[in-house]
Amino acid sequence: MRSILIELVIFRDSKYTLDMKLNYLLILSFVLLLSSTANSQLPIPENGLKPSTPSAVVFRNAKIIVSPEETIQKGSMVIQDGRITAVGMLVRIPKGAIVIDLEGRTIVPAFIESYSSVGVPEPNKAKWEPRPQLDSKKEGAFYWNESIKPEVNAAEHFKVDAKASKQLQEMGFGIAITHVPDGIMRGTGAAVALGDLDNRRAIIKSESGAFFSFEKGNSRQTYPSSQMGSIALFRQAMLDAQYYIENKDCNPKNLSLEAINNQLDRPLIFKVKDKLEIFRAQKIAEEFNLGFTIFGSGNEYERINELQNWKNKLIIPIDFPEAYDVQDPYVSRQIPMSDLKNWELAPSNPYLLRKHNIDFALSSKGHKKADEFWKHLHKAMERGLSREDAIAALTKIPADIFQLSDELGTLEEGKLASFSIFDKDPFKYKDAEIQESWSIGKQHVLNAPAEVDIRGKFRITLADISYVISIDGTKEKPKGKVETFKTKIDSTTTPITTSIDTNNVKANISLEGSDASIHFNIDDDVYQGAMTLHGKFNNKVGAFLGQGQTPDGEWISWAGIRLEKHEEKKDEESNIIVSDTIQPSNPWFPNMAYGWDSLPEKQTYVLRNGTLWTNEAKGIVKKGTVIIKDGKIDFVGTGNFTIPAGAVEIDCEGMHITTGIIDEHSHIAISKGVNEGGQAVSAEVSIADVVRSDDINIYRQLSGGVTTSQLLHGSANPIGGQSAIIKLKWGYSPNEMLVDNSPKFIKFALGENVKQSNWGDFNRVRFPQTRMGVEQVFYDAFLRAKKYHEEWEEYNSLSEKQRKKKEVKAPARDLELEAVWEVMNSERFISCHSYVQSEINMLMHVADSMGFTVNTFTHILEGYKVADKMREHGAGGSTFSDWWAYKYEVNDAIPYNASLMNEQGVTVAINSDDAEMGRRLNQEAAKAIKYGGMTEEEAWKMVTLNPAKLLHLDDRMGSLKAGKDADIVIWSTNPLSINARVLRAFIDGEQLYDIETDEEKRVRLKEEKARIINAMLDSNKKGDPKKTFVKKQEKHWHCDTVGESAE
Amino acid sequence: MRYLLAFIIIALVTYSLQAQDRILLSKATVHIGNGKVIQQGLVGIEGDEIVLVENGLAYTVDKAKWDTIIDLKGKHLYPGFFAPNSTLGLTEVDAVRATRDFDEVGKFNPHVRSLIAFNAESKVISTVKTNGVLYAQATPQGGVISGTSSIVHMEGWNWEDAAVKVDDGVHLNWPETLQGGGWWAEPAPKKANEKYGEQKKEINDFFKAAKAYSEGSEEFDGRYEAMKNIFEGEQRLYIHANELKALLDIIEFCSEFKIKFPVIIGGYDAYMITRQLKDAGIPIVLKGGHTLPENEDDPVDLPYRLPKLLLDGGVKFCLQNSGRMETMNSRNLPFLAGSAMAYGLTEEEAVRAVSLSTAEILGVDKVTGSIEVGKKATLFVSDGNALEMKTNNVSLGMINGKFIELTNHQTELYWKYKNKYDKQ
Repeated sequence: MRSILIELVIFRDSKYTLDMKLNYLLILSFVLLLSSTANSQLPIPENGLKPSTPSAVVFRNAKIIVSPEETIQKGSMVIQDGRITAVGMLVRIPKGAIVIDLEGRTIVPAFIESYSSVGVPEPNKAKWEPRPQLDSKKEGAFYWNESIKPEVNAAEHFKVDAKASKQLQEMGFGIAITHVPDGIMRGTGAAVALGDLDNRRAIIKSESGAFFSFEKGNSRQTYPSSQMGSIALFRQAMLDAQYYIENKDCNPKNLSLEAINNQLDRPLIFKVKDKLEIFRAQKIAEEFNLGFTIFGSGNEYERINELQNWKNKLIIPIDFPEAYDVQDPYVSRQIPMSDLKNWELAPSNPYLLRKHNIDFALSSKGHKKADEFWKHLHKAMERGLSREDAIAALTKIPADIFQLSDELGTLEEGKLASFSIFDKDPFKYKDAEIQESWSIGKQHVLNAPAEVDIRGKFRITLADISYVISIDGTKEKPKGKVETFKTKIDSTTTPITTSIDTNNVKANISLEGSDASIHFNIDDDVYQGAMTLHGKFNNKVGAFLGQGQTPDGEWISWAGIRLEKHEEKKDEESNIIVSDTIQPSNPWFPNMAYGWDSLPEKQTYVLRNGTLWTNEAKGIVKKGTVIIKDGKIDFVGTGNFTIPAGAVEIDCEGMHITTGIIDEHSHIAISKGVNEGGQAVSAEVSIADVVRSDDINIYRQLSGGVTTSQLLHGSANPIGGQSAIIKLKWGYSPNEMLVDNSPKFIKFALGENVKQSNWGDFNRVRFPQTRMGVEQVFYDAFLRAKKYHEEWEEYNSLSEKQRKKKEVKAPARDLELEAVWEVMNSERFISCHSYVQSEINMLMHVADSMGFTVNTFTHILEGYKVADKMREHGAGGSTFSDWWAYKYEVNDAIPYNASLMNEQGVTVAINSDDAEMGRRLNQEAAKAIKYGGMTEEEAWKMVTLNPAKLLHLDDRMGSLKAGKDADIVIWSTNPLSINARVLRAFIDGEQLYDIETDEEKRVRLKEEKARIINAMLDSNKKGDPKKTFVKKQEKHWHCDTVGESAE
Repeated sequence: MRYLLAFIIIALVTYSLQAQDRILLSKATVHIGNGKVIQQGLVGIEGDEIVLVENGLAYTVDKAKWDTIIDLKGKHLYPGFFAPNSTLGLTEVDAVRATRDFDEVGKFNPHVRSLIAFNAESKVISTVKTNGVLYAQATPQGGVISGTSSIVHMEGWNWEDAAVKVDDGVHLNWPETLQGGGWWAEPAPKKANEKYGEQKKEINDFFKAAKAYSEGSEEFDGRYEAMKNIFEGEQRLYIHANELKALLDIIEFCSEFKIKFPVIIGGYDAYMITRQLKDAGIPIVLKGGHTLPENEDDPVDLPYRLPKLLLDGGVKFCLQNSGRMETMNSRNLPFLAGSAMAYGLTEEEAVRAVSLSTAEILGVDKVTGSIEVGKKATLFVSDGNALEMKTNNVSLGMINGKFIELTNHQTELYWKYKNKYDKQ
């Protein structure tokens, strides 16, 4: 039995401690002797005796942040064998323990960095190779795609890296979950203790979480080349893993698929780069019933409404954007509002998330220096993040996420002795400084507190002279100033006069323990040159005693007697964190120029006296009325109607009212890649997965009267990806923009793009490289899909019993073939990028032989040559009004194309394929009158009713008819006139654009920009870190845009 | 369509007539090009020249004096429109390298001349003139100084024949203050161009040397020689730039080198410094409105409104259509004027922005740009307003007094397939 020392601590100040006093005085914390077994080590042969360690370390006289909720103002903590054995106001001190008096310093539980790659080697990047790499070059029984590497195990690669650890330790982190940050499935992480530790002790938990992202990483394989490709690949790998486990016996061993199955019950960390990606990851999570913990990007607040009921915890960074250098007005005027708003509001992100009851861990990602990390953390606290929440986000919550709560997260008995010591409470004082980091019981001194305080005013006495030296600065880095005197003799006067010059010279002081060296240059009546004094400082007496060397090289003895003590400046007040939950401004929807303060509401509108372009049998109706109610068209015509209660009446005298423009071929509002060109067939990818709601082109096109767009995959491969059909609901989330129960579409493509004619000489690898090959890609895909379908049919026809009896298992799922089968089964419609007649004809033959119809040929610039065949087959055409001459295959493109196809009874639309042209499709429609003499009504249908028909949405859109969606545009004049301007645009009965509100938004934009730029200017002047402006370029996707993608 | 056919026949008939025939275009609404309009105008042509422009209501026609009188009642008569800063004739198919002849290797290429590469027989040209665009400035691109442009019309047998003004000016691409990489569909993020000062100095140095050379040099230098006319005022200096800071620097640069005829091409930010530009007397060849706003925060209609903003600021300007698919899109130039009309210009101001203003800025207004006596008979008739898509329908066109062909590869294919279906 060990003898036990009891230390009694008397509390004086603080209300908290008084309240707690009664409870604590009664409780004695006993040393838990058994705890040491938890950390016992296996025997290792030692050279000589086993290393000696003290039995325990006791920290007394400390402020202890035990947990987010509990802080002991003055208490003690005992650690033994790497664990906390006691903590409290009163603890027993084990015999033989080292007792450290912390003199009121603060012990903080070790922070846990959730997202780190400390100690793991940087993944090596393969050499760039101009020729595309279609297959995996990774040798071994792994997945076919190099960006799927769940088999990577961080623990196997981990080596203690004291230097990298120190960077985190200086911020207060003691634990990191490290992983190899490369690829879409990145493998398993390891929870490691930070510091200069023994490799055999540093890993706390070897299978700590599995890591994922949308980023392809270092893989040079062509697939995936887009974010939608990453999503599809992730899903396919999950399906493959499921199939693998169910058919383990009959499958060759695959280490990747095995690893996926093994890691799904671990915390799954999904890294995203933008708030919208959270919802993309979540969609995958729901499909496979996974719970992802999202590692966010810091702009989650921008879509906080959609995060309302978020159940999983998040991990969020706090590397708030730096201010731009705005001194140069030529540069600052180009900074977009989106950047300015985010600069202003990013520090509010943690508070706003907590306000919506979302739990999160904080990550230091993006910080290299401790002071920057703390500056940002304090900023977040000033914006309203509470002390408890801040502490929890760095300790308890990450411990929960990684199932480490038994070991870490608080400073409770039995937990690992990982903590930091600060000179004062860093969650209260902005100038708190970290001094030590203890990692599983091992001390790491980061900023040693000075042993002595040599500051003050001293008289230094040498043999024949004395000086007065004033020492100030910090205890650790003192600075000195020496007063010297020199007699000046003026011999020009009679009698000769003397005066004394006083001179202050700087003294360089270095301090090690209690040894001080003081250097200064002297020029007085006795000495000229460098004076060097070495001496020991006696703290109790307050005096130096030592040896020195005079400028003439003599060694002398000297002594320094303190004349005045150093007065500590009391400026702690200004360093106390003051929290204010009133935010500098509110986010807009979307959080950029022309965003909404709050989204408009559905109202009842009566639009009277307008010229109605009905697109119905009634044709163009003068002096007509349209009533919008509950998001639908309620009435159209000239007859009698009753004005619904509460309706907003708009007099449209002289104006024209139409249904909204529908763009059959658009590439706006897409994130990270419009083409999955990595393979010839990529039917598995879907634009609907990557709709980007904060593309300014949504607003621009809305202002041009477009209300619905089909966002198509590009044309880099014969079978591209699935479409998204969206309404341009500016301000809404991607999900809200997607048209409900939208018919399913897929992009096919023919010609130069799919055979990579204009991709340079290195791209001659992927099949097909000729039009001949394109046909075969189609046949092959359809035949495979047919076989796939038959396998499933057969399986589905069996009862559960029969399956068991015959030992029939479900066939493997193939996302690509599922989509191709949907095409064959006429559940999914093709919009096929096409130019020349030969290939158009070919695809119709392929479709005929497979028993389905090509729904739409898009571009279809030689459609006029085969319009009769198209009509016969049942295909529609969606074309440019007048584009040509941009590549060889458009040589025979003619602007009369739309008219000729229309005359042959083909359903014809005119599309944009271009963000700019998309905002004036009304003008493009007008060209059909010029080229081929179409009537105005027919021309107008080219951008409204006809695309609605091609999209199978004409039962809901495309004409002014009661019951259809209230997607309505009010034009200043005939919409086919070049003078036409959109005055108002409604979608589903909400007025989402009007010229008055637009004008107000312009004024507000100007004011807000000026305000925030001024704030940035203040920040620049204060000397805050700043960066040079980098202008984001908007992505204008077109059909043949390749790459960008999966990063 | 019938009308079109009828005029094609007339055109073909008259085409064979001798150039000295006297032709009277009667009763059209004549858009002079200088901002004026005559409701029922009479325009008389003799040889390649306009010899009469009168108001039909106040002028009695002596029918005997005219060999041919064409009744254009209800139609609109315009001066031939201009496509400045154009690659027409210098490229045929954008994606086919063999047909791209506008971008030479090298940084300073003033000696490179576009004229000799101009393909008078370009198929693209034949689709452009049918919309009323009858002149172009064949303009080289690339490098710091891309080369020397020439002004051509669209009905030449060859480039010599097509030239309206040989070597009208040198094109300087001013460095951008923000620079980005990538390509059109995938631009890389732009960064402040740290080399802006350096690049500016490079231009300065070149101009200093060229100017010194122009004042007398013993050795011949091809580059400096090609710059001579800039300093002498014989040629224009076209400076391509859009950004505010660049525009301000250009004003200073032109005054420093005493450039007699500087012209800015692009000029997106010019609306912010109209006073300075007006004082400096620098005109703008403005990028037309069918382009997206440069900055995310710009008002959605800013590109449409720029012409009006420059007009109000007193800056001389005309319209151009450089940018993506610029060659084939030259035929939409009339509609750029149309958009400027929709956003503030009057119809006649809009017409001027693609006719007389352009001719003035390019320095060819003595002979082209408007329907005035003494100028070349280069004009066209549209059934309706030529600035409107739905009414721009060119039924007659004339370059230097010669009727132009209104058929092209596209109309041929149109009729070919229309006939095919009509017979079915």
